[in-house]
Amino acid sequence: MRLHQREYQADTPISIDALFGPTPQSKHQNFSKSKSANNHAIRSRPPHPCSPPQRPNNRSPPSPVNLVTREFAPCRLEDHYHTTLQEDLMYMTYKHEHLPRPQPRQIRLTFDPNDPYSKNRYNPPVGGSRVGKKLPPPSTPNNVIKLEKVVIHTMVKEALQSKSNLLGAIMAMRTLTGEGHKAGGRHKVEGVQIVRGKKSVGGWIRPGVPVGVKVELKGQSMYDFIGTLVEFVLPRLREFNGVVLPPESSSVNTPSAVSGVVSFGLPPQAMGFFPQIEVNQDSYPKMYGMHIHFVTNATGLDAENRARALVSGFQIPFIRR
Amino acid sequence: MEALAKFGASVYMLVGEVRMFRRHAISSLRHIPLCRTLATEAQPSTSVGASSPPPQPITPKKSTKPRLSTAIILNRSPILTRPLTPFEQAYHAYQARIRRALHQPFPYDFYFKQGSLLETRFNLEEKEREKAAFGSGFVQEEWQDPVKAEADKAAVKVLAQQEGEGEPLTPRVHASDKSGDTKSLDRAGERNLYLLLKSKENGKDVWRFPQGGVEKSDFLYQAECGEKMDTWIVSRNPIGVYKPPQVDTSSPEHVIFFYKGHIMAGQVAPAESIQDFAWLTKQEIEQQVDKEYWENVKDMLSDF
Repeated sequence: MRLHQREYQADTPISIDALFGPTPQSKHQNFSKSKSANNHAIRSRPPHPCSPPQRPNNRSPPSPVNLVTREFAPCRLEDHYHTTLQEDLMYMTYKHEHLPRPQPRQIRLTFDPNDPYSKNRYNPPVGGSRVGKKLPPPSTPNNVIKLEKVVIHTMVKEALQSKSNLLGAIMAMRTLTGEGHKAGGRHKVEGVQIVRGKKSVGGWIRPGVPVGVKVELKGQSMYDFIGTLVEFVLPRLREFNGVVLPPESSSVNTPSAVSGVVSFGLPPQAMGFFPQIEVNQDSYPKMYGMHIHFVTNATGLDAENRARALVSGFQIPFIRR
Repeated sequence: MEALAKFGASVYMLVGEVRMFRRHAISSLRHIPLCRTLATEAQPSTSVGASSPPPQPITPKKSTKPRLSTAIILNRSPILTRPLTPFEQAYHAYQARIRRALHQPFPYDFYFKQGSLLETRFNLEEKEREKAAFGSGFVQEEWQDPVKAEADKAAVKVLAQQEGEGEPLTPRVHASDKSGDTKSLDRAGERNLYLLLKSKENGKDVWRFPQGGVEKSDFLYQAECGEKMDTWIVSRNPIGVYKPPQVDTSSPEHVIFFYKGHIMAGQVAPAESIQDFAWLTKQEIEQQVDKEYWENVKDMLSDF
């Protein structure tokens, strides 16, 4: 584990301008400043040969060739999935279908596909898309439920006053996940992303204002995060008995019940139990709570239960209240 | 329009029948004859177009019900990580080297207090890792006061001793691997093991998975394996079926359904009718069981 510590640690200290870029507000206020900042982005002529190379000042120099790194260490939980969980989940989630699936009911006339007027028109299904009523795809050995990614997300309310309040959360997320921007040449890895407001809510939030951070973990780093969470954090949380299941009376057709995502939150004091944070907890201005989303490939009716079966296979407890 | 409505109605009926069928199928395995009739009834109603096949002739009911048994494939999951092949090791080392070369600068001042013991240790270890990755010529030795360097090394050594580094690890090969004890649950830690029992059937000794007849309020797998273990049956669905060849045609057909289970704790305490038991890997099972039995169960076992 320690051998690869350095690969996991990310990044130079953070510079705030480079991180956030100009928000719509700041653009409006300092028009002249943002204009000068954009000067090097849209350049009409090549730079002078003596000028230093331009690059964002929070990034390491780009690699001279395109290299992508793959697995660099054995992954215990991934092995566990492939040796034990996958087979068990296939048996647990198998639904026997001895007949072909019935066609959807055609209770309304559809456009004639041969009529040149209506040839490529969209034929909406009756009753909308019926997301919550769709059946899962037939059980096959190829579509056994699996974990696609884990998303960790935290909102920092104080960032509304000053965006520099996000810096602590950014650094904590980097330490927690070890994911740097395009780290190891993997072009899909975004590292720590800034979450901005989408809506305008009077007196609280405006569109484009940075309010939180999130990280998407896939593959090896995802399994490593789950391992740390399960072995170091959850057992030490005093009042955590398990992820609370929704009551049995709750609807099974809501989008959240058929999306195959298991989500739960951790309180701020849980962050101090991560060993990466624990070693220098004083360096962070405060501890941050977080939401953790386990995104699986399950879809259709009952997807949530299948996703829970998978997640509980990684020893995350569930309780009914 | 009328035809459409009719089509809708027939499909709807079909859906209803299928649902009913499912409920029956789940409720009990004994209802299999009933299910069959329902399934054959459902087929003609699918005849929306002319493409559907003609209804199959109903086979005459057998006079005797098949004798049902349940067998348990009791599995001990791997307790050690998989050993890597030399190719995998070389691949991982190569990828780790690339990652090390591409990684973003490490913020020492954020993680360590300047001049702290932890920082000294990290620097020393980091130097070793660089040497291991890129060769000893890659790391430039900075000039350091030899007295201080010695003191640092000693302090780091003391710290390592305090943290219990360098203590011998538990070996990956268990004593039962060396002695060839197939009854131990600690053997072959990297592999999936399955419980096999030796019993007398039709006058000869056979190795097979634990099995029992269908009886009410009786845990099937406990009949032969004893109650001195904690198990978890993975699913209510059988994972396979086996029909042993019949000795005499007059007796009812024997059907064995296989279920998968995991052993969590304890050990097998076999019943008196069982002569022996063993925890074996898939490859070892092949050598023990009959060829016909093996052909039917091999796909239910994990290769590794």
